[in-house]
Amino acid sequence: MKHLRAVNKKARRIDDYVSAAKGDVVALQNPPAPPQPRPHIPMGCSLSFSPGWEVDSAGGTAGLCQPVERDIYDCYVTCFWPAQVPDHLNNSADWANKCAAATKDWRNLDLVFP
Amino acid sequence: MTKLLPILAVSLALVRGGTLFLGAYPDSVLVVDEAKGQITDRIHLDTGLPTSLRLSLDRKKIYVTTNDHSGVEVIDVATHKVLNHFVLNTPNKFYRFGGGTPDPKDQVFYTVTTEMNKLADRYEIGKPKYTVIDLAQQKIARTVDIPPKDENANAGGFGFGRGGFDISPDGKYLYQFRDSVVVLDTSDFKVVDRIELSKPDLPGMEAIGFGGQLDSISELGRRVSLFNSSDPIVHNRVFGIATFDLNNRKFDFTPVGPSPAGMAGLQVAPDKKNAFTVIANGTLGNKRCEFWTFDLGTNKITRMVELPCRSRFSFGMSSDGKKLYIYGAGFEIEVYDAATLKYERTWDLNNDITLAGMIVLP
Repeated sequence: MKHLRAVNKKARRIDDYVSAAKGDVVALQNPPAPPQPRPHIPMGCSLSFSPGWEVDSAGGTAGLCQPVERDIYDCYVTCFWPAQVPDHLNNSADWANKCAAATKDWRNLDLVFP
Repeated sequence: MTKLLPILAVSLALVRGGTLFLGAYPDSVLVVDEAKGQITDRIHLDTGLPTSLRLSLDRKKIYVTTNDHSGVEVIDVATHKVLNHFVLNTPNKFYRFGGGTPDPKDQVFYTVTTEMNKLADRYEIGKPKYTVIDLAQQKIARTVDIPPKDENANAGGFGFGRGGFDISPDGKYLYQFRDSVVVLDTSDFKVVDRIELSKPDLPGMEAIGFGGQLDSISELGRRVSLFNSSDPIVHNRVFGIATFDLNNRKFDFTPVGPSPAGMAGLQVAPDKKNAFTVIANGTLGNKRCEFWTFDLGTNKITRMVELPCRSRFSFGMSSDGKKLYIYGAGFEIEVYDAATLKYERTWDLNNDITLAGMIVLP
């Protein structure tokens, strides 16, 4: 029977009912999520798909540094957003050499041409 | 006039504060006078941008790791002079590492490195390894493979979070305070002991959990820190205060209450009676932060006061334990009174501070 699959709503409800009966009982217990193995990212630069400077992970701006320039250097050094911010580790080590406080003198940041 | 001199001396002693050492962009360590709230010196680092600061056991030197070329610099606390500096990278061999600890004799530096070899057509990426850096020879003396079980915890991210070691005063054992407390033998890096604790999931905060790395006020051979754990049945997360005796590997845990979402490490006052932390609940726009004061005699919370929290920040304390600092992700240090937990002032350093953190010395 495993080759059969539900194709309409009623059949899917029956399918869910049968599989639910076989499942474990979870009452007030909050089962722990299995530990996720962390990816091995050896180069220091991330393959992160975080949205970027404009919005935070929830699609708003409340989770961003205020103003966002406060966040430039920590992302620059850690390569957190390698597409948006030059990467200090590999390609643009001198990008911020003339700019100590990014919020105040961001105009002194160097230009990077890909 | 002669009667006035002692009064003047006492007054000066009262206003004299400690000294803060902060890693700063692009390539320096800032020396900040606590009494003035101003930068009094700027120590240039030839090897680049500081990613971690570590005080030697005798508190006379500061070890700085830098990431431009994977460098190490040793600063003399008294004179602010750089005593030793070198880089590990060669034209065809690069390393990533961040943080570590020197041995009690200041001869070697223990850390975790990842080696990358530049070949003709590709980079060959190694796995993280326990590493001993010889400070006199200015090179890696030996590396030891990390067992698969501990590999992920030592992989770190973005070049940081590796090598968060503490060392016993006799130099025989290394302690890693991470999701569990792992005790390693310094001679062969074999695991001597392992204390499993649940890993705290703490969004958007820095220097969290078992933070021996920046705990500059703790006693020699003793650490006091926060811990998080959960019971195996309903998985309630509970936080508490942990005391570690690094000499004989004894640990003492006292559960305090339900865990908040995030805790910014524990700062213990010099009198060892009170300790402070910043907790955060909620995320993004719903995030709320509070200072918590602990009485270390009873391990109970004695005071809670809300503060406006930054998206990312680090938490520190003044050398006399009377002021609390919120800093990081920017160029300012916000100063709070430790007794009332009220905001006092903001020091504008006009220089962004790196993730290297802060060392506070009297």
